Amino acid sequence: MIVRRFFVMVFAATLLVGACGGDPPPPPAPPQPDQDSLQRYNDSVAAAEAARRAEAERLAAERAAEAERQRLMREARATLEEMVFFDYDESEIRDDAATALRAKVDILRASPEVRIRIEGHADDRGSTEYNMALGNRRAEAIRAFLVGFGLAENRFEIVSFGEGRPLQQGDSEAAWARNRRGQFVITAGGDAINPAR
Amino acid sequence: MRRRNPSVRRRLVAVVLAAVGCALLPGHLRAQEDLPGVELGLFYANTYRPALAVQPFTGSFGGAGIAPQVEAIVGRDMRYSDRFEVLDSLPGALVGERVDYALWDRLGAVWLVTGRVEGAGDGFVLLVELHDVVYGEVREQGRFRLPNPSDPDFRMAVHRTSDAIVEWATGDPGMAASRITFTMMDADGNKDIYVIDSDGENLQRVTHYNHMTESPTWSPDGQRIAFASWKTGVPRIYEVDRFGRNERMVPAVRGEGDYITPTYHPDGQTLAFAVLGSESQSGIFTYNLAQGCCLAFLSGGPWYDLSPTYSEDGRWLAFNTLRFGDAVPQVMMMPAEGGAAETLSPYAYGSGGFYAAPDWSPHGELVAFHGRIDRRGRYHILVANLEDGGRVLRQLTSEGNNEAPSWAPDGRHLVFSGERSWGFGLMVADVTTGRIRPLLSGRRVDLPDWSPAVEAR
Repeated sequence: MIVRRFFVMVFAATLLVGACGGDPPPPPAPPQPDQDSLQRYNDSVAAAEAARRAEAERLAAERAAEAERQRLMREARATLEEMVFFDYDESEIRDDAATALRAKVDILRASPEVRIRIEGHADDRGSTEYNMALGNRRAEAIRAFLVGFGLAENRFEIVSFGEGRPLQQGDSEAAWARNRRGQFVITAGGDAINPAR
Repeated sequence: MRRRNPSVRRRLVAVVLAAVGCALLPGHLRAQEDLPGVELGLFYANTYRPALAVQPFTGSFGGAGIAPQVEAIVGRDMRYSDRFEVLDSLPGALVGERVDYALWDRLGAVWLVTGRVEGAGDGFVLLVELHDVVYGEVREQGRFRLPNPSDPDFRMAVHRTSDAIVEWATGDPGMAASRITFTMMDADGNKDIYVIDSDGENLQRVTHYNHMTESPTWSPDGQRIAFASWKTGVPRIYEVDRFGRNERMVPAVRGEGDYITPTYHPDGQTLAFAVLGSESQSGIFTYNLAQGCCLAFLSGGPWYDLSPTYSEDGRWLAFNTLRFGDAVPQVMMMPAEGGAAETLSPYAYGSGGFYAAPDWSPHGELVAFHGRIDRRGRYHILVANLEDGGRVLRQLTSEGNNEAPSWAPDGRHLVFSGERSWGFGLMVADVTTGRIRPLLSGRRVDLPDWSPAVEAR
């Protein structure tokens, strides 16, 4: 029993000697942050995060808007370039063609820099030279329709290809109907097409 | 050149649309079933065609080698002239060199052609005699210089001999020494200009644009060809020599307007053509080739006139017009300097009728064109005689589709483009007998124009 107490004392002395051997005192415990500064820190992180997210959202929205603008431009261009078709040996604007041309009018009003070449085509029945005139009459009828809505005449030029540039080969009513057409080529302002307002 | 008044333009649009609307009223027959006041039909004078024989040609001084070739060309030209019943040739051994009138008389010949080819310097001389078998005598004879067969003018020189024989026998000009220009389509759908001799030989390509090329037409000297080409994107008229060289744009214009369907005035100084693309001035214009200037507008309004063709004396122009409506093109004529036009095709208001592509005969008062004349909507070649006021139309074709006739220099034959069950081709019709022969078959050919007689170089 006495022996055990001795060992305990030696062990304790050893501990004390070790403690007083010239070593620096243990560092003080770090200061506990106060609640205010913690809040400020968290707030600034959140703010940066929010700003970053907002910027990303803004960019995404911008990209989406640009994509939408591009889509509308592509759509508007497709509308401008959409062909119209005619009845056999006629240059009168059909109802379906009038609808397609009205859609072009709205885009052309919103896109003042755009100029268009109107190409008149015919099917290969009848007479080769007559079909050149018929193609010209068709292109002219389209131009007159567009100009009738107040668009400047000098925004359009017309040319006939007669029966020389068929869309579809063959001697069938389906092929002929496809070939009796007006085509639209954007000759200026192709990068300034605006959708209809 | 053309500035338009927009309000005039709109009024014109309204008029045009109203006219088109009228044409579309119910009851309007597109496929025409009868032509009021018009006699139309395949009728031919009962023409006597005397029998003609060609005795085998002989040769000397090197001419014997080409004599059979020369004889073959002459023999076929006689058939193609459609003026004779040409007898099958007999072997030389059977007939000998002497002319045996009794033999030919027994065979039924009325005319006999004999020929001898003699070498002469670089080329040959062809001595030809036309014998009247009934009277047993030489009616006419002539000496014709022939170049070497390798010379590009060799066949044409023989054709000139053939035309002389025709003229000796009939008093009328022949058409063997002539060429035909036309368009041919390639596999890509492009067209270029070609030339072929009147007997279907010697096919030559003239242009190499690989684009839309249309309406070739000969100058009166047969040395130049004018046509419309879309090679710059818009149709303009160009002129080249018959080998496709020395191209120039006539008139050299910029800007808008389709310049199409050229034709030469018989004096060779003026070109007439259509300019379309203006509602104030769409129609026939002329241009002075000699002075290189001076566009003149002949139609006098937005009449959409095209395909002009001059009368033999150059004082009149026949042309096609859309002025009665898009679906009823008609043939009209007016003074060559412009003025009041009268209808030549049988148009009566509301009766419809489709007539196009007129060509005025180089002899006499005949104008050929094509029309849609039967209820299946087929196109046939028609000939109007102006001495009858143009109201009696003779129909030359009865099968397939037939378009764009052009007169031969003899004023008796027409070349046109035909569509048959076997395909497309150029055909030659004899207006007097109604006989039709193919000139070039199996190709997508169109818009032929027959040259004037080709003179010796």
